[in-house]
Amino acid sequence: MNSTDSISKLLFPATASAAPAAAPSEIEREVVDLFEQFRDPLLRYALSFGIPVHDAEEVAQEVFLSLFRHLQLGRSRANLRGWIFRVAHNLSLKRRYANQKFCDWAGHGETILKRHFDPSPNPEEYLLSAQRQQRLLAIVHALPDMDQSCLRLRAEGLRYREIATVLGISLGTISISLSRSIARLSCADKR
Amino acid sequence: MLRQDLHITDEELMLAADGELTRRHAAQVQAHLAACWGCRARMADFEGSIVDFTRLHRQIFDPVLPPINGPRSLLRAQLAELPSKPKADTRQWLVRFTLGTRVAALCVAFLISAAAGWLLLQHARLQGPNAVDSPLERGDVPNPRLTPGTTREATISDLCMAAHEEVVGQVTAPLRQQVLDAYGIQSSRADDYEIDYLIAPGLGGAENIHNLWPEPYTSRTWNAYVKDDLEERLHEMVCARQLDLHTAQRDISTDWVAAYKKYFKTDRPLHSVTDSVARLVLPATD
Repeated sequence: MNSTDSISKLLFPATASAAPAAAPSEIEREVVDLFEQFRDPLLRYALSFGIPVHDAEEVAQEVFLSLFRHLQLGRSRANLRGWIFRVAHNLSLKRRYANQKFCDWAGHGETILKRHFDPSPNPEEYLLSAQRQQRLLAIVHALPDMDQSCLRLRAEGLRYREIATVLGISLGTISISLSRSIARLSCADKR
Repeated sequence: MLRQDLHITDEELMLAADGELTRRHAAQVQAHLAACWGCRARMADFEGSIVDFTRLHRQIFDPVLPPINGPRSLLRAQLAELPSKPKADTRQWLVRFTLGTRVAALCVAFLISAAAGWLLLQHARLQGPNAVDSPLERGDVPNPRLTPGTTREATISDLCMAAHEEVVGQVTAPLRQQVLDAYGIQSSRADDYEIDYLIAPGLGGAENIHNLWPEPYTSRTWNAYVKDDLEERLHEMVCARQLDLHTAQRDISTDWVAAYKKYFKTDRPLHSVTDSVARLVLPATD
């Protein structure tokens, strides 16, 4: 062994030989399982911030890479669903801010609805149903950001304690916010 | 507390619909609903609206969701690279060069550092003694009248469940504008400032105008990046039970620069101006 090699090994011991490709670890498998379980709800939630689909996909990837590091460091596993949505919430807000597109997601939603609405056999029913959905959408869009987030998280099946973790608010505030929003939505049918 | 002769509030209806009431309270609500047509009709309205919203939420977003296969493979590939990535990258990059190149690079780096040190020393002499004392610039500390610092109710375990950076959220646009207005900053200069929490959320700081102020990125010494380091340090100390949460909140809200000096045991920021500029230019790797 020449002197250059020995100095190299002294300075960079870990690079002396390339490591073989390792099989997926337990944590990797767990993260991929959670990705399969939560990727769609997470994408829907990220999209509701008005960010484009590819940005929402990147947010989802970033969330699960962070989750991997989180679990790798042996940090708390309590309320993992709340943790996942909180990181997604923060990253989506950052994306929205970075894009400088405080996108009119209601408009975006209306476009998607028009494009994908399954027409009912009766044109009159179709029209009524479409009008009602536009009304609901307008009401949701008029709600404060926090109320919208509470509603969407609840629609994704999160419990109050998990929503509290995501948004950093108290359980009382969540029940007030949800009841206020649902009461407004209920009024949509009475108009 | 619900009484049989009083109607159920909207909030109680919501909690009942979501199964978030205590068993005793839920039984009281059920008993009232059984006897009261009005409340039952409201409950039906509520449940109908929940169903409608959930359906709408899915109808809007489900059609645009791409298939999961590609993203799942991408995640697997990224995960496979992660464990060895941070340490191995720099070394593998370095090992490509011969020993002679590395020694030459070290010598050049040493000469540049020596020259930079000499220049800084000369600059400090020209500026007088205040220059090496890391003086405060306009905007480094908040106006205590506008931003006294406020906290929210949070336990240490709530705050320590996640790393500091995971707790920090983005300030909403309307709130950001309110803070800029309160400090009389024109929108054209808004990008020069980070709307920062005086007491960070990771230390129980609240998200309201009394706890936010426009902190200049452009300050050469006590800037937003330096304060981020302090917040992270205090969060770690609180979670390690080395520091009382109340003391951390008080110290950072009273004078964050003094708190930095106290907890880092230094008179000037540990990160140089160059570090701060690098953090502006380079994307975060973690």
